[in-house]
Amino acid sequence: MPDLSKDIPSTFEFEEESGGIEAYRLKRNGLHVLLMPQATAPVVTFMVTYRVGSRHESMGLTGATHFLEHLMFKGTERFNKRRGTSVFNILQRVGSQVNATTWFDRTNYYELLPSEHLPLAIEVEADRMRGALISAEDVDSERTVILNELDRGENDPTRKLYHAVWSVAFIAHGYRHPTIGWRSDVEHVTSEELRYFYDSFYWPQNATVSVIGDFEARAAMEHIFEHFGKIDNEPTPMITPRTVEPEQKGERRVVVRQTGHLGAVMVAYKSPPGLHTDTDALDVLSMILGSGKSSRLFRRLTDRGLTTHVFGGASRLHDPGLTYIFAMLAPEVEHEEVIDSIYEVIEEIKRDGVTEEELRRAKSQNKAQEAFGRDGSFSIAAQLNEAIAAGDWRLYTTLRSRIEKVSMEDVQNAAKRYLVDDQRTLGLYIPIQEAAE
Amino acid sequence: MRSFDPPTDSALEALADRVQEHTIGACRLLTLRTPVESVVTWRGSFKTNPDVGMDDDLVQSLVVSLLDKGTKHRDRFALAELLEDRGAQVEFASDGLYVDIAGRALTEDVSDVLALVAEQLRDPLFDADEFQKARARIGANLQRSLENTGAQATGALTRSIYPANHPNYIPPTVDRLRRLESTHIDEIRAFHDRHFGANEFILVVVGDFDETAIVSAVRQHFEDWEPHDAVANFATSGRHDDPQRVIVPIPDKQNVDVRIGHALDFRRNEPDYIPAYLANYVLGGNFSARLMQIVRDELGLTYGIRSGLYGITSDYSGHWHISVTLSEEHIERGVEETMNVVRQFVEDGVTAEELEDKKTTIIGSYKVGLGTTSGLAATLLKNAERGFDVEYLDRFPDEVRSIRLDDANDVLRRHFHPGQLHTALAGSVPESYALRD
Repeated sequence: MPDLSKDIPSTFEFEEESGGIEAYRLKRNGLHVLLMPQATAPVVTFMVTYRVGSRHESMGLTGATHFLEHLMFKGTERFNKRRGTSVFNILQRVGSQVNATTWFDRTNYYELLPSEHLPLAIEVEADRMRGALISAEDVDSERTVILNELDRGENDPTRKLYHAVWSVAFIAHGYRHPTIGWRSDVEHVTSEELRYFYDSFYWPQNATVSVIGDFEARAAMEHIFEHFGKIDNEPTPMITPRTVEPEQKGERRVVVRQTGHLGAVMVAYKSPPGLHTDTDALDVLSMILGSGKSSRLFRRLTDRGLTTHVFGGASRLHDPGLTYIFAMLAPEVEHEEVIDSIYEVIEEIKRDGVTEEELRRAKSQNKAQEAFGRDGSFSIAAQLNEAIAAGDWRLYTTLRSRIEKVSMEDVQNAAKRYLVDDQRTLGLYIPIQEAAE
Repeated sequence: MRSFDPPTDSALEALADRVQEHTIGACRLLTLRTPVESVVTWRGSFKTNPDVGMDDDLVQSLVVSLLDKGTKHRDRFALAELLEDRGAQVEFASDGLYVDIAGRALTEDVSDVLALVAEQLRDPLFDADEFQKARARIGANLQRSLENTGAQATGALTRSIYPANHPNYIPPTVDRLRRLESTHIDEIRAFHDRHFGANEFILVVVGDFDETAIVSAVRQHFEDWEPHDAVANFATSGRHDDPQRVIVPIPDKQNVDVRIGHALDFRRNEPDYIPAYLANYVLGGNFSARLMQIVRDELGLTYGIRSGLYGITSDYSGHWHISVTLSEEHIERGVEETMNVVRQFVEDGVTAEELEDKKTTIIGSYKVGLGTTSGLAATLLKNAERGFDVEYLDRFPDEVRSIRLDDANDVLRRHFHPGQLHTALAGSVPESYALRD
């Protein structure tokens, strides 16, 4: 039950509290609001997370999430460059860090700014929730900006390898295309198509507003109501992606060739959605495999001079994703040698499990990371954002207790269940050396 | 449930008043307790006084990369486990005339971890096998940097601006690789003996800690650390040669990184710095600055463009630096439009409105930057390195506010000269452009 002494505006309904965050619903339009007061410094982070990402894009419209995010800075009737009130101008004038990011399941817009300017951030974000201009002229000028962004990414062979592995591991689900989109789609998307995308997803009930840092709750909620409260709900139901990735039955392999010097390897396995408890075990497994200089892969690969960097991770997405290991090869080392070593380490864990010491260390690292992650409102916002995208904001507040529950058996079982050959996608970056010399 | 009361004034008091200063042996210890829970962050540095023109920086990098590879008291795995069992992070970095120390730990672990930091700095093992591995790893990173358009363009620009013995000069990567091959473990040991000591040793600790415990730990582990007697040898300013254009061809890189700049003749602790910083901010300090507004937002020629004052310290001067990324087909026009904006900026000067805008931006950003323990620790350390008193932490905004329009434009006229700008490009630059005068 809410603490009535806090005198919450009647325009909001209290939902629940978890880990110092209170969740409310704006009654009129269903906007979800998360409040986390933290008076450690006179700054605040305001963030709007839309539950739309590249998984919602259809073929031909890949990159729409990201393109639209760029256009959201091109202005509305109220905030635009012509009037000298562009989003960047008015927010950066008060010292705000302002930006947005896109990923598979979500798009977020954020402002990290001195606390006294919180109302301005609220006003800007509410205004562009339904007021973006999305003109044909802006689409054209931004297209070349995005194509340059795409070229920058293509310069990096390891980034290409990462995208290549996802695009081969998934053959039907939207996780197969990179969030920036395929080049031909970016080259041809129209303002009408982006307007349709915007009208499909940018609505109060598809968004969560988060306020973190130094602020007064009632005043913040009144500002949120003043600006977001006047936005109506969408007239028609939103598009929900229905494609389920078919079960992978057989290893897949992809090779990226580009001029360069040193190779890289990515080994990825299909893994469950972010909210699934097995992902907790895979998280711990990834730490034991590749986090720090006492990890198994560091000892087996980097310490023996086979790689210069090696790390692992378990994706925590809305739908089933990938658990992966990424290794950067040392000079004169063959890909196969590194791949074989990775497989050996995985087989050892499947056969013998992990040690109590390794499990304890992974949990200690998680405990410290959780504390470090609360140092500053923006860091909290970034983590909360991913939890919202995975489907439940409480993933952020409960992650530590979820990890604490993981046992040695859970880790071994997760390795046996998910790190299997038929569910594997192997990616290799093989540099073309001749042209580089 | 947590209360949503507004913050107490204690969180908003002048920060400098809360900084404790201790002199422990040759160490200057600055501490600042903040309301963050269970997290302690530290930043530190000491002067090694290298002979910059004699590749000491490369040897220094090797020494630093071996600090976590074992001490005289424990091997590399014991070191890693000691830290990772606590989830603590410790990093050392070679930074020109300095070696930097950074890290964070949970409150209960900070004394143990500081003891380990001292052991790593003062009693490293320098095992011959580990030296070979470190050399191979640095060599691999250098090889990878050959593919990095940004790094190659920046390096080429510094070679047009600085003499080889200036700390900002970046030698050609192939030269570094050659020199790396000839390094020997004895050189590493000798460098450590001669250049590691408590010279201008500053340690800043911020967060949730017990003051007595920190002072005691620093006293126990650093009080008897003596300064060395090495004398630094380096150039203190750049060259003013005729402008030149350098192209670093890198195949398969459709995004070309462009760096433009010339030497500046003032240091961080001189009166011209703040007005120059403000003036440049108008040109390219953030998204709402002229370069981004015109070359990206209006013309759509680039994803990223900015300008800054680069590598300026209280020991030596640096340079004016403009960076822009351009897709192959936009190189010619992109460089031309960038130069047009730069020329116009210097010709017209800064307007009163722009200056006031950027003042509030910089002051607000500064406040936001102090919102984390790492932001506070980094700022306190930099100020101390620059020779400023602790009160500068609170005085910086006043310095910015005090700059008049005439000050900014006078500095602009005296120090910024578009006709003297060097250009460096790295990537797949078309032959038609490369062959132009």
